[in-house]
Amino acid sequence: MDPAHLRAEIKRLIVTELNLKGRDPDTIEDEAPLFGGDLGLDSLDALQLAMSIEERLGVRLPEGDEAREVFRSVRTIADHVAKVRTA
Amino acid sequence: MKPCLWVTGLGAVTPLGVGIEKTWSRLVRGDRAIRPLQLFDVSGQRSDLAAEVDGIVTPIHPPGAWSRTSAMAVAAVAEAMTMARLRAADAVVGLVVGGTTSGMFETEELLAQFHADPDGRDAPLAMLSHPITATGDRLDERLGPFARVRTLASACSSGANAIAVAAAWLLSGQVDAVVAGGSDGLCRLTFTGFNSLGAIDRVPCRPFDRRRRGTSLGEGAGFIVLERAEDAKVRGASPIAELAGWAMGSEAHHITDPDPHGEVVAKLIAEAIERAGVSPPQLDYVNAHGTGTPANDSMECAALKRALGRDLARIPVSSSKGQIGHTLGAAGGIEAVITALVVSRKTLVPTAGLDEPDPSIDLLHVPHVGREVARVRAALSNAFGFGGLATVLVFTPCETPVAPVSRVGARPAPSGSVSVVTGVSVVGSAGSMGAEGCADLLTARPIDDAAVDPDAHLDAARARRLDRTSKFAALAVEHALRDARATAEGSGVVLGSAFGAVDASAAFLYRVFQRGPRAASPSEFPNLVPSSAVGHVSIYLRMRGPAFVVADLAASADCAFAQAVELVEGAESARVVAVASEPGSDIVARVLSPLCSDAALHATAPSRSDLASAIAIETAAAARSRGARILAHVAQRLQWRGDGSNSSGALRPPMADRAEVVVARSSRAVDAFLARTGWGDQRRWSCADRLGENGVLGAVAIAVAAARVGTGRAPEALVVGLERGRGYAIVLAAA
Repeated sequence: MDPAHLRAEIKRLIVTELNLKGRDPDTIEDEAPLFGGDLGLDSLDALQLAMSIEERLGVRLPEGDEAREVFRSVRTIADHVAKVRTA
Repeated sequence: MKPCLWVTGLGAVTPLGVGIEKTWSRLVRGDRAIRPLQLFDVSGQRSDLAAEVDGIVTPIHPPGAWSRTSAMAVAAVAEAMTMARLRAADAVVGLVVGGTTSGMFETEELLAQFHADPDGRDAPLAMLSHPITATGDRLDERLGPFARVRTLASACSSGANAIAVAAAWLLSGQVDAVVAGGSDGLCRLTFTGFNSLGAIDRVPCRPFDRRRRGTSLGEGAGFIVLERAEDAKVRGASPIAELAGWAMGSEAHHITDPDPHGEVVAKLIAEAIERAGVSPPQLDYVNAHGTGTPANDSMECAALKRALGRDLARIPVSSSKGQIGHTLGAAGGIEAVITALVVSRKTLVPTAGLDEPDPSIDLLHVPHVGREVARVRAALSNAFGFGGLATVLVFTPCETPVAPVSRVGARPAPSGSVSVVTGVSVVGSAGSMGAEGCADLLTARPIDDAAVDPDAHLDAARARRLDRTSKFAALAVEHALRDARATAEGSGVVLGSAFGAVDASAAFLYRVFQRGPRAASPSEFPNLVPSSAVGHVSIYLRMRGPAFVVADLAASADCAFAQAVELVEGAESARVVAVASEPGSDIVARVLSPLCSDAALHATAPSRSDLASAIAIETAAAARSRGARILAHVAQRLQWRGDGSNSSGALRPPMADRAEVVVARSSRAVDAFLARTGWGDQRRWSCADRLGENGVLGAVAIAVAAARVGTGRAPEALVVGLERGRGYAIVLAAA
């Protein structure tokens, strides 16, 4: 999956898994902060997103303090997924 | 002067041992019971640790009806009643049971099968242990008969919440003595759920420690016997401690995360202390909720600071969870037992595992081992649950026991506050309606079976975590409050639900069994806790009064109404909305209802559609002072265990020719009950005949009755809710 596709897939998961009804995945910016920004996500969303990324993309995301860096934005998640896959 | 409530009996089953003495000596010593779980397969879980109770023997009779939860409850209640030298037959004794898991461990593999094979029609007897009412029923059979039995759930505050409800029964004179507490057994659902939330530490949990990463789950049961001091003196019973204060409320903040500022919890602590007649300088110990999750412990410290101010610096605080784990619905009961013992034995229990106190949690800790102290003038016990549902209890030492007196203990006079219904609602296939619509719901034109889309009426962003039950409940409560022209803030909410989120639990478990624990959905899990709907409603509508679920099979809605009236008449909350909301459920319709309930026997037109109904209740004085329209006042209210033959005689006859009877469903039992009263010939309405069978019909019956009285269609109305071995009767009369 090329980087743009991967980011689009993550955006789609954000909308469907976190039940953001009416939100168009394409309107989520790659760099936009996932927490505290206009998406208004919280730690429970992070856990749900991590679970669904592991299920759909086969990559286990870090937990605890390490997770903070990875969950900054769609781009940081996608970069992490790509890195694990190529490792 | 308010009556003094004595704790005269204690009973506990904990991972440290069966019985309070074994538990107590090991607690004080600092022993820990958290180790790799043996009860079920934990491979693939983030942590394999839990605090298990060894050697629980579940009885064989009645077949399929027993769970580990119920077996632990019987052991704890038997111990508490033996200590109090109290038998159920000796007086009017009530029972209040808090819990969340009930027979989940025994039934979760069956649930996964039902999910996989929706056409299987067998209802295995083991499912009898599933409803959360099963524990109260087993206690009633073994140690009763109790005059009244209440089952409630408010997640991890259930046990403490049960004790607060029991105290209100005693103050209103409804019982002479009451046994209250909580029981919860470990199961795959909660173990997997808490692990999926990352809420379990990989080492035995370390409350207040800088390195804490979560809690450890546990199991057990803890119950206390409570009675009015003057009655206890007549019996010659010795007090262990006094339950001096309590407060219940909800944060209305988030389904899993506490409000970091602890604002509502601080308010509840202050209220409970004030009710106890003590002030922060007299408080000498806090048994914290202290789960060991980063968020809980920080919030609890903030709340204690806010409520107790500078006095907190000299008040020892400890959490028992590093030793017995978080026993969920039992925790409030077990920790009440522990706190009463701390008061009576002047010995503090420690926080185990606390090697490196978190510098941001600057409490006076009791690390590793307990110690004796000169005095404990008052002690606090905190219990918080998912959805921000919180209960705070305050225990104080008793005056020196006096010699038995021969005088018969006088029951306190009823508080004199009459409760009234100020708003009602029904939301479902018939639309969404208040009193005007409800008055003619059973008489008007045929109902078109168009599905209601709750999302069309809810704020999408704020409602995104609500399941269907919660959405319909939120709509019904909102409409009832609008009908009452009342605000949500400060109101409480009691939801009646017979079986909880059965289908969703079955789907969750099926997925975990098929694909392993890491496939468990962390955002789904909180919705499987029996009290989640009430948590969601309180958050969505910002209701900060008492919030919990009650269950009594097909009479759950009647039970919710009774509970809401009790909260209002006991001045626990200015206004409470009773609500029932049931999702259409295949497993309930096919398995649980036919097996556990008599209601299904009479179902003429089974319906699996979503339906919800709510009733807003407040005191007559409060309603008048805000100039509210009063639909009806609660003229009489009866609840019983057994076939109701004793209660039918107590029911007052109809005062007018046009008085009506509204029932959830017709049955021979209803005919027989009414025939024994003066109401047999009154005009009678059956909700099921009109709307099809549904678990919420008890609430619809009350809403319709109040609306018909309130709109002048009937001068008064009787609502009867009957279920196997239990029943409720309510007379609503024109204001």
